[in-house]
Amino acid sequence: MGIVKASDVVYEYIRRDDEGNVEGITTAVDKVSLDIRQGEFIAILGHNGSGKSTLAKHINAILTPTEGTVWVDGMDTSEEDKLWNVRQTAGMVFQNPDNQIIGQVVEEDVGFGPENMGIPTKEIWERVEESLRAVGMYEFRKYSPNKLSGGQKQRVSIAGVLAMHPKCIVLDEPTAMLDPSGRKEVIRAVRGLNQVEGVTVILITHYMEEIIHADRVFVMDRGRIAMEGTPRQIFSQVEKLKELRLDVPQVTLLAYELKKRGVALPDGILTAEELADALSAYY
Amino acid sequence: MSIIVDHVNYIYGADTPLAVAALKDVCLQFPDGQFVGIIGHTGSGKSTLVQHLNGLLKATSGHIYFDGEDIYDKDYDMKKLRSRVGLVFQYPEHQLFEVDVFSDVCFGPKNLGLDKREAELRAYDALRRVGLPDELFYQSPFDLSGGQKRRAAIAGVLAMKPDVLILDEPTAGLDPKGRDEILHQIKQLQTQTGMTILLVSHSMEDVAEYVDRIIVMNKGSVLYDDEPRKVFRHYKELEEVGLAAPQVTYVLHKLKEKGMNVDVSATTIEEAADTVLQALGRR
Repeated sequence: MGIVKASDVVYEYIRRDDEGNVEGITTAVDKVSLDIRQGEFIAILGHNGSGKSTLAKHINAILTPTEGTVWVDGMDTSEEDKLWNVRQTAGMVFQNPDNQIIGQVVEEDVGFGPENMGIPTKEIWERVEESLRAVGMYEFRKYSPNKLSGGQKQRVSIAGVLAMHPKCIVLDEPTAMLDPSGRKEVIRAVRGLNQVEGVTVILITHYMEEIIHADRVFVMDRGRIAMEGTPRQIFSQVEKLKELRLDVPQVTLLAYELKKRGVALPDGILTAEELADALSAYY
Repeated sequence: MSIIVDHVNYIYGADTPLAVAALKDVCLQFPDGQFVGIIGHTGSGKSTLVQHLNGLLKATSGHIYFDGEDIYDKDYDMKKLRSRVGLVFQYPEHQLFEVDVFSDVCFGPKNLGLDKREAELRAYDALRRVGLPDELFYQSPFDLSGGQKRRAAIAGVLAMKPDVLILDEPTAGLDPKGRDEILHQIKQLQTQTGMTILLVSHSMEDVAEYVDRIIVMNKGSVLYDDEPRKVFRHYKELEEVGLAAPQVTYVLHKLKEKGMNVDVSATTIEEAADTVLQALGRR
């Protein structure tokens, strides 16, 4: 069993009208099974309302399945006495950095998690330092978070999760509110955690370019996993992705357009470098 | 309805030790019917700038002329200005509040003092323009999907029939299809009604695709103000100020480096495909 395993997970919520009468049941996650190995970089794509955030919330037990089981590092997330262990194993970072930062000083904010876990003071400081270094924010440790840019705040949020020494981090659209350089900073930090620290990363995003380095991509639609594969396999299917309200990176789209107009190029080109190499055969 | 921004300075917390200059000597003109993109990293002053245009913030010094009249004149009708310059904030769906979508959209025109019938006609027209289907009109706005909520909120501003529509990151957090749909509808609105549109965005690809002119803000000043292909020629300088060029720009530069004779100023997929095919001698 991998670090995160889901088996036939169903999540239903009950819709109610103004008076509280039951109007119906919506199935947000519909029989999803997946198995994620320790150290993998996983990306989850899907249009608004496809169920990806609902699924992600199962990984650190914010939600528990209506049917089926989710295991995090072998622990069943539905067992209440495992709750805190599950949340320490799988940390979560959300979209808006302003909702996640509580400390008045960066290092204090990052220390909040381990302090809550009852870690000895000396070790808290060690963890704060290594976490801030891992996301490239150590030199800002004495700053007030509200003096930081969006990308910097989001990296502080990630450090805060990292200080709890999770084996797995789930990031739910961490770059949606950031400018291009903020996005780049955050994605670089996330890749670093995965490659250097070996943390399992589950990244949910609407930016196709951010996931070209993922090991595996899951595409969700109507609560189910509609596609699964490497970024190259997924992005080779331009038409299918468009049907699912998604897109491909612009580089891939340009290659696709050229191909449609008669230039023989391989499918699923992901980087500018690859496209330039493939085209160089023609001149 | 032209807008002239004349040597505008704005200082947050003026007369306090924490004074920060958010706008520095900004001079701009917005002629009728233009589709303008405003880009800049977080904190560059773009939101501060647009909030001046409908009088939400008052310049510390300088003048703003709307249709030839100084909006800082003592007897200038600010309420009228706000009905003519519509501002759609970031995440506007957080401002939905009525029991159904239709009443929510009627709120603005009713507030302008229009009678019920006129307000309803405008609401109907606005909802049609943003492409929200009739069957959603009497649903609670909170039951809509992310993209639909955003449209309903934009319709609420459109129903005031502004001459100028300002949108602050209207596509943040939407899936790629939702992004395209909303921007496409905004573009249509501009061509059909001749409305002036100002789009604040973090997506260089979106801006390149839709606008006639780009204003780049940096540290409270205007860095560039030109048509997209000319602005993105400065892609190295844009990176230094936390921005980027559209991805195709990077591909074209790479191809050029490899000796292919492409026009590097192309900024959309369509233009890029054209110039690559031309360089390959296929056209």
